Formats: sequence, structure tokens, C-alpha cells
Amino acid sequence: MENTFARYLFNRFFTLFLTVFIAATLIWIIPRLSPVNPIDAMLGRMASGGGTIENSGAIMEQLMERFGFNDPWYVQYWLYIRNTLTFDFGLSTSSFPTPVAQMIGDALPWTIGLMMVALIITFIIGNLLGALMVWEHTPRPWKAVIPAMMVFTSMPPILSGLLLMYIFSSTLPWFPLNGAYSIRVEPELSLSFIGSVIHHGVLPAMSIVVVTFGFWALGMRGLMITVQGEDYTVLAKAKGLKKRYILYKYMIRNAILPQITAFALKIGMLVAGQVLVERIFAYPGMGKLLYDAILTQDYPVIQGVSFVIILMTALAVFLVDLLYPLIDPRIRLGG
Amino acid sequence: MSDPTNAAAPETAAPDMAGLTKRQLKRMKRFDNPWNNPKLIWGITLLMGIIALGIFGRIFWDTDLVFTGAVLPSQAPVGFENLRGQVGLASSPLGTDVAGKDLLALLIVGAPNSLYVGVLASLIGMSLGIFLGFTAGYTGGRVDDVIRVGSDVMITIPPLLILVVVQASFGDITLTMMSLLIAAFVWQSPTRLIRAQVLSMRESGYVQMARLSGASDRHIMFREMLPNLVPYLFGSFIANVTTSIVTAVGLEVLGLGPQRVPTLGRVIYDAIDSAALTRDMWWWWGFPTILLMVMFIGLLLINLGLDEVSNPRLRRL
Amino acid sequence: MSVLDIKNIHIDFPTSKGVVHAVTDVTLSVEKGRRIGFIGESGSGKTTTALAAMRMLANPGFVASGEVHLNSLEGDTNVLHLDEEGMRRVRLRKISYIPQGAMNSLNPVMRVEAQIWDAVVAHEGAVEDLQARSDTALEGVGLDPKVVGRLYPHELSGGMKQRVCIAIGTCLTPDLIIADEPTSALDVITQRHVMQTLREMQAKIGAGLILIGHDMGLMAQSVDDIAVLKKGVLVEFGPVRQIIENPEHPYTKELISSVPLVGGESFLHAQAAPPKGEKLDVPLLELDGVSKVYGSVTALHPMSFALDGEEPKIISIVGQSGSGKSTMGSLMLGFNDPTAGAVRFKGDDINRMTAGERLEFRKQVQAVFQDPYACFNPFYRVNHALKFPFENFGMQGDVEVEMHKACEAVGLDPSLVLGRYPHQLSGGQRQRLIVARALMLSPKLLIADEPVSMVDASLRATILANIHDLKDKHGISIIYITHDLATAYHVSDYVMVLYHGHVVEAGPPKEVIGDPQHAYTRLLIDSIPWPDLDRDWGDAGDARAALDVLAEIGGTPETVYRGDIPGFTLGQG
Repeated sequence: MENTFARYLFNRFFTLFLTVFIAATLIWIIPRLSPVNPIDAMLGRMASGGGTIENSGAIMEQLMERFGFNDPWYVQYWLYIRNTLTFDFGLSTSSFPTPVAQMIGDALPWTIGLMMVALIITFIIGNLLGALMVWEHTPRPWKAVIPAMMVFTSMPPILSGLLLMYIFSSTLPWFPLNGAYSIRVEPELSLSFIGSVIHHGVLPAMSIVVVTFGFWALGMRGLMITVQGEDYTVLAKAKGLKKRYILYKYMIRNAILPQITAFALKIGMLVAGQVLVERIFAYPGMGKLLYDAILTQDYPVIQGVSFVIILMTALAVFLVDLLYPLIDPRIRLGG
Repeated sequence: MSDPTNAAAPETAAPDMAGLTKRQLKRMKRFDNPWNNPKLIWGITLLMGIIALGIFGRIFWDTDLVFTGAVLPSQAPVGFENLRGQVGLASSPLGTDVAGKDLLALLIVGAPNSLYVGVLASLIGMSLGIFLGFTAGYTGGRVDDVIRVGSDVMITIPPLLILVVVQASFGDITLTMMSLLIAAFVWQSPTRLIRAQVLSMRESGYVQMARLSGASDRHIMFREMLPNLVPYLFGSFIANVTTSIVTAVGLEVLGLGPQRVPTLGRVIYDAIDSAALTRDMWWWWGFPTILLMVMFIGLLLINLGLDEVSNPRLRRL
Repeated sequence: MSVLDIKNIHIDFPTSKGVVHAVTDVTLSVEKGRRIGFIGESGSGKTTTALAAMRMLANPGFVASGEVHLNSLEGDTNVLHLDEEGMRRVRLRKISYIPQGAMNSLNPVMRVEAQIWDAVVAHEGAVEDLQARSDTALEGVGLDPKVVGRLYPHELSGGMKQRVCIAIGTCLTPDLIIADEPTSALDVITQRHVMQTLREMQAKIGAGLILIGHDMGLMAQSVDDIAVLKKGVLVEFGPVRQIIENPEHPYTKELISSVPLVGGESFLHAQAAPPKGEKLDVPLLELDGVSKVYGSVTALHPMSFALDGEEPKIISIVGQSGSGKSTMGSLMLGFNDPTAGAVRFKGDDINRMTAGERLEFRKQVQAVFQDPYACFNPFYRVNHALKFPFENFGMQGDVEVEMHKACEAVGLDPSLVLGRYPHQLSGGQRQRLIVARALMLSPKLLIADEPVSMVDASLRATILANIHDLKDKHGISIIYITHDLATAYHVSDYVMVLYHGHVVEAGPPKEVIGDPQHAYTRLLIDSIPWPDLDRDWGDAGDARAALDVLAEIGGTPETVYRGDIPGFTLGQG
């Protein structure tokens, strides 16, 4: 019993480690496979540009030293892995000499905040609607409306973002077009600031929720149909339990378990969607940072942001895996 | 299981058809042939529409109008006005962008391109998935461990980010190369799905029967197992097409992806980049968005239809 | 006083082929404290009728006409007139239900005691001292509330789960208990224990009981009245003694005669001397110190035997689930490698064969499995299962002709079954096709692993006769793996009783099953419910004592050897 759980923990941790390691390695290898190494290209641009780019000399020196171009590849790789694992991503080239880690540190809370809110809302709404699609006591109008809502499913969030922006920001000026808070309020712990943050967060969060709840709803629908036919649901009804109690404690409670596993598998896709939403709404999170870095060819930032987002995703999966045994006794006790 | 419906049907007296309305009879007939599924048919129709746009558009419209300055810039669609009060021209029925590209021509060239990327990436991903899933499920042992952990790891990594790194390093890429790159991230789900199915089928009665009949591994995999996987494979394929297009559009909207080939994502990128929203040039981003939505709704309907084909319990009488 | 009166009830199911009349004009009453058995085959409407009283028909079934009166209701006693909330209050409090699938009937994510609490709360509101209520309920069915109450369902055995269901079903002292094949998934020993517990609890609370089942033996030992249903019609109803001793309807007679008895008349027809197999210097099948270990569990302890193929024989391996009998089957087919020892066929180790030898081995050793539904690939017509091996083994003759001949030999009309898809055939037809398949390939040895346990009772005898014919008419030796001692008694030449991977008793069936010596074999035979009213099946106390006997036998039982037959040697010691 103890053993099974220990092995489960070890396996999860091993997967986490492997994911982070492989991602880091991919990020290192890919530019080196390119015929035009982006760093070489950048160095070339700077050398030819000479004095036209501010600080170009310092940047070049920094890059040369950082990537250890004069060392053999394994030294370069070792340097890279060591730096990455200590969150030392070097200095940004576009806003030299800001450390990349600092830029990421500024952007990360926005992304995590937006993502948590969006993911949790979408997971709850989606699963609830999916359950209602199957439940025999769902009011008739709901049964007709919910399937129609599935039209939004599997659209990329950028499209919903564009539509929502057009309707609620350009046409009806209800929500701000971009940013995370109004420039007129000071970023401090005040009511007006929090209000502004929420006001600005509604559209980005909604554009993620609108396109992803359907995924959960459809998955939940299939699971609920299975659970509905299970003997324990039949017995629950025969026990004369109240219908809502059966819905929550017998049906949803069991059907949600595979959904949570799916959640861990889906996080990667959801994070990618969020990056794009941030770009459309100019939300000062990791997505925007990444987009700006792509525009200015700021390679250290691209590398750092990609790594941190993958790390975040892998950690989230790990967390879900850790919490899973708490809600499924069959895993907890090593059944 | 205590399911009287199942038990009741075969052995009891012949059913009588009286007392059923015509509509019920029609629905029941549909129930008998799972492929005659309205969702499936509608989904296929929508996708055929996109393909038809690509084919007939090339015949009846000039695709050279996708180039910068081919037509008057910033024109509204026919029947609408732009902010300067100019009425849309019949020569550019869906309007033009700020660089003087014709929207209709962009759609005719771009929509099939987006579909092409999705289908190609998904095909490659599926082939990989079928190969790896069968290998893992059938061989078991170490090989299985490696493939399982490998797909667990790769499913966590958001493809978009690795693709961003690739793009930032390689610069411009072709449509086909983008498909190949996306394919590297869509083999995981089919691998997991097929592996699970193969594992359960391996213990099934008919596979044991085939082994008793002296069947080779190849026969068991391709003749006994694969045919029963067909609905799942279709479903997985369609889901992957969606994922691939979403990823491709995502890349394009970030301004990455092929730079010289018109795609729907690229058009949207240009629109956002040129502040089409504030200039009220809704047609610029609106038409490609609508086309993408049609594509996604079509794929979704096909997927829902396939779900009902492979899982009769989802079908309602 | 009657608890429940069912009057002229008709139940319909609209299906894709039209409306199925699942139940037609059934009328009967359940008296207080009396036990009624609903017996019939799958699709006879027995479950549907009982569930109608709880208004729990599966979709899209509905009561087309008729009345169901629950006499303890105030005012209008017809339960079909109750509103949804009224019906909810009737369930469990007035009519409780003990489900069939003991394995999945409990909510997997809730502790056992919580599943009793929620039932109590649903009917009595927030009661004080729920703990005492669940403790009483669990104690009543012989479970320790301190331990079992805190467990999750997956930590319980099948018998324990079903006893928890009985505890739930009786905790509010209902007027009527409906038990839907409550023991169908259980071993005979556990079956007796669960059945006795149910009877004890029912007698204690004085409720009426409807026991749904298909086994006339179990009915004879458990109920007072029997209602026989066929195709939705009540064909016979009366006290159990009258039904068993003087059945009137031919269907009732058929049901009674389909239960094989130990010692009774054989359902097989005696044959002239069977054709001889080929004479070999080495045994046809030999197990040499074979054992199988899965992780920390030993499924099979070292076992040796040698079967000579010259004189075809049927060797039965009898045991309950977990006895290692199915492991033996898959070891003998080479589906599993033994942990130690070797399985030899005609002297060759079957796990060390070249591809060519293996094909030859497959051709000569065939099998019939338990589940006739799973054995056909749903993608192909049933012909595929017969045709493919025939062609793959490169056998002589015309496939179509051979298929027709084989079908006729097992009593199937080829024009009705060939060319169809598996789901269009009944379980019995499919299992007979599998026997026909074995016949076509004319192997030297057939492993029959529980070939009739998933087939309707009335067909079991026919299929066993088909299998027996393989030996008698075609000279095929057969290893018959089963949990059913009565059929083993009739078909086999030699019987081995397996318990926890050990042979506890072995010898000719007349000795081993007719006059068992080992405590475990005796227990097995005592636990079989027979349709014999004068035989005492014992009470709950006896059933509990039986479990103590099992505990005494423990993990390393002695083997009792009861004599040999020529051509088969069981390794001793």
C-alpha cells in the first residue's frame, strides 16, 4: 500500500523532471539546427550596425560570454542547463540591460492570475453544463440551449477574443480594449486598482472560457452517460435519495475523476491559447512579453519565456497528479 | 447489469409496429444505420464548402489579387461604407485591406491552406500514433514504458512555444514544414488512445481466438484489431485536424508561420497589426474569422457524429 | 395481508424494431413476510415486473396499463399515481431493492457507512446518532462496523459488498424487499452465506421478499412461492412444493430439468466405444512441476500430471474464482509462461517451439472460452471465426462444406447462422458455433474454460452434450474447467478440485463428487442449491460455520487422492 503510493509519487516526479529537461534541451538544440543561428544573426546585425544600436558593444560582449561560443558544444550545453535551472536567462537585448528573469518575474503574476481564474471558471461551468446535458431532471429549456452553446467549442481563443473585443469593447464600450489595469490608477493595493484589474480581466478571461468550456462539457457528457448506467446510480435512486444529491454525490463526483486527469493533459493546449489571448488584449503577461520579443528578435527573452511557460505547465500537471489521490480513494490506498 | 432493455429485446415476442408515429419510425430507422448521422453529414457538408471555395474560387476569381497594391486599399465590402464614406466596389466584393490586397482572393487562397496544414499534420501525427500505439500496446515491457513516458512528457509541452522557438531560429518556413513541425506535437493523444484500446483488445475473446487459430502478430494487429479501431481513429484524426489548425492559426496570429503564403491566420495578424479594430475595418478580420469558425464547427460536428457512431449510448431514440 | 398487489400490468418498450411487450397482463400479490421467487430466462420480464413496483423501469420502458398497489400507503394505494417526491419516499422506506451487480452497486468514492447514512438522512432528515444506525445495520448482516464501516467499496470482497447492500436494503425496515439475482456474481459458498443473511434479515423485519433469479435450485432453497415468467407472461404461479414436484407448464418442467443434479440421471446419451486417438510413446499433454506466480500471489502451486491421448477422456478441473483453474487453462494453451516447470505437448515444451511447431500445436489444441459474446470479432461475419483457422492451418476439404457439416453436427441450421454478424445471434448460438469451429479443426485436445456459465440454463445441457460428442464421436480429449460440480460429475472421467492453486481432491467423479472426503469439496457440494425441498441447505449459522471451515483449510491444504483411471496420472506429493 505504502509502496504503491510511493511508486506513484516517484513516477509523477520523474515525468515532471523529464518534461522540464526535454523542454530545456529542445530549446537549446533547435536554434543550433538552424542554418542561420539567431544569435549569430544578431551578432552580425550588431557588428554591421555598429554604433546605430545603443549598447551594441555591451550586448555583443554579454552574448559571447553567455553562450560561450568559443567553447565546445558540451560546455555550452552545460552552461545553458546550469543557467536555466537557476532561472538565469541572461539580459534582454531589446531592453538592455534588464535581466530576462526580472521581466518574466513582472509578467508572471498576471499570466498566472488570469489563467487560474479562466481555467477554474471554465472547468466548473463546462462540467456542470455537461452534466446537465445528461441529467434526466434538467429543465427542458436548458436541454435545448446547452447543445447550441457547443458551437463555440474548438475555436481558437484568439477568434473569440476578437469577437468579444469587437462587441464589448469597440462597438459597446463596456470593457477596456487592452492592458491589465487603467493607466489612471496607481498599481497599489486599493479598491480602485483591484476594480480596474477585474474590469480589464473580464474580456481576456471570457474569451478563454467561451471557447474551452465546451471541451469539458462534451467530455463530461460522455462520462455522465456511462455513470448514469452504473449500478451505483441505479441503487442510489432505489435508495430514495434526493435527485440533486444523486447528481452531485453519485454522478458528478464519479464522472469528474477522468475529467481531472484530462485537465492535466489539456493544460499545455490551454496555456498556448492564453498566450495568444494576451497578445490580442495587450495583457502584460507572458504572452505579450513573448510577442514583443518575437517582434524585436529578442532571443534570450523568447528562450526564457518558453522555458518558464513549459515549466509552469509541467508543474501544474504535477500538482493535479498529486491532488488526484485525495479525491479518488482507489489510488490513495493503492487499490 | 440490470438493464431490462437489453435483456428484453432479443428473446421476447415479435415487436409490433402499431402505435408509432411516422416521425418515430423515421428516427428509429436512422438509429439502425449509425453512419446516417445528421451531425456527420452537416459537418462534412461544411468542410466540402470550404474546399469548394478553394476550387471554384480559383476558376472564377483572380488569385493574383492577393498581392500588395493589386486593388484600391481600405475598401469596404459591396453595400457598406468605410470610415472615409467610400462605398464598396464590385471589383472587390468583400473589401480590401490597407495594403490593397483583395479579401476574397485572400480567402480563396488562404482557407484551403489552413485546411491543408491541419490535414497534413494530423495525417502524419496519426500515422506516428498508430505505429507507436500498436508497438507499445502489443509489445509491452520496456518499449511500452518508453513510449508511454515519452507521450506523457510530450503531451505536457505546449506545442506553440516550441514552434515559436523554431520559428524564431529558422525565420521563414513553408506550409509543409509548418505541418511537419505541428505533427511532432499531435501524435501523443492517438498513441495513448490506441495503446489503451490495444491493451484491452489483447485480452479480448476474439484476439485469443485468432491466436488459437495460429494467426501471426501482423494478422492480429491489422486484421482483427485495426478494423474495430476505425471509428476511434477517425474521431482522433478529426480532433487532431482541429488541434493542428488551432496551433497553426495561433502561430500565424503571432506573426510567425509562412511569411509569403496567404493563410487565414496571417490575414488576421495583419488586421490586428494595422489596428483594423479601431479603424472599424470589420471585414478585414471578420471574414477570415467566419471562415475559420465554419471550419471548426464542421470539424466539431463530424467529431460529435463519429462519437455517436462509435458509442451507441450517445445516440438518442 | 398482502403487502403488494400487481393487477393486470402491461409494460412496453419502444425499440427500433417496434414496440416490445416486455410484460403482458401479469397479476400477483406478495403477502407480508412471504418470499416469492420470480423465475425465468433473460428477457422473460421478471426484473421488469419487479422494477415497475418501484417505478424504476429503464428507458424507454413504461407501464402501458394495470395497477400496482402498495397497501401500506394512505389513501390511494396505487404507486403509479404517486408524484415524484411521493415515489422517492416509498423507495427504500417501503420497498427496497438489492441489486444484481454486487461489484458495482456501491459508490466507489464513499465510505460504506456514509452510504447507509445518506439513505437514512434522505428519509428521516437529520437524525442524531447516525453512527449507531449504520453500526446496527452492518452488525445485522454479520459485518464488523468498526472495520467495514470505514472502508471503501473496492476494499471489500464480492460477498461483503452484497451484504452491505442487504444492510442498506433493510436499514429502514421496508414492507417489501426486491432482490434482483443478488448472488449471480458470487461463488456457491458465498452465495449460500449471502442468501441466508438475506433470509435472516427479511424474517427479522417481517418484510415480503421478491427474489428474482433463473436458478430453480436457488429458488427451491430460498422462497415460499414461485412465479414462472416466459416472454413477459406469467405461465405458472404457486407454492414452491407444488411447482417443483408437480409442475404443470412445460416451460416450468424444462427449467427444473435443466438443473443438473449430482447423482441424478445423466443428460448425456450413452455412446458406443469412442474412436481411439493415435498411440504415442509420450503423453499427449504433460504438466511437469508447473507453477505460476503473479507478483506476491501464487496462482498455481507446482503441479504435475500426464494425459495419454489414446483413449479420449474428459478431465475436469473444478474450483471457485481465484482457485487457479483459469490460470491452468491459459498455461496449457501457451498464452502464459509458467513461472517454473514445463508444459509439454506430445513431448515438446510448448513455450520453446519454433514458429512451424507452434502452428502445428495450435492446430491440435483448441479451446472454448467462457464468454460467447467476446469470441467473435464484431467487425466480421461469424464465418470469419470458422473460416480463418481452417484456411490458416491449410486443412483439406472445402471450407463451405465443412462449415455446414460442423454447424449441423452441433444442431445449428447453417442457413440461419452463417453469413450473419455476431450481434445478430444469441449467446447459445454463438457458443455452439465455437464448438462447431473446434469440430471443424478436429484437434487432439480441447480446453473448455467455463463453456456454459454465461449461457441460459435451458441451453447448457445441449452445449455440454455437443462438447461431450466431441469426445465420443470424434475422439478429442477434453480438459473441462468449471465451477459447477454437478456438470463435472456427469461429463468427466476424472475430476480435480482446486483450492488456492492446490489440488485438494482428485479421482473419478463418482468418488470425488459423489462421496467427497476433503472438507473443502464437502463444503462446495453442501453449498450447491438443488431443486430438492427436503434437502436442508442450512441456516445462516451453518453458512458462517462453513466460512470457519474455509479459514481452517488455510493456504496449504493436503491433497486427498481418490483413485486413478487408466491413461491419466496426477503427480503425487
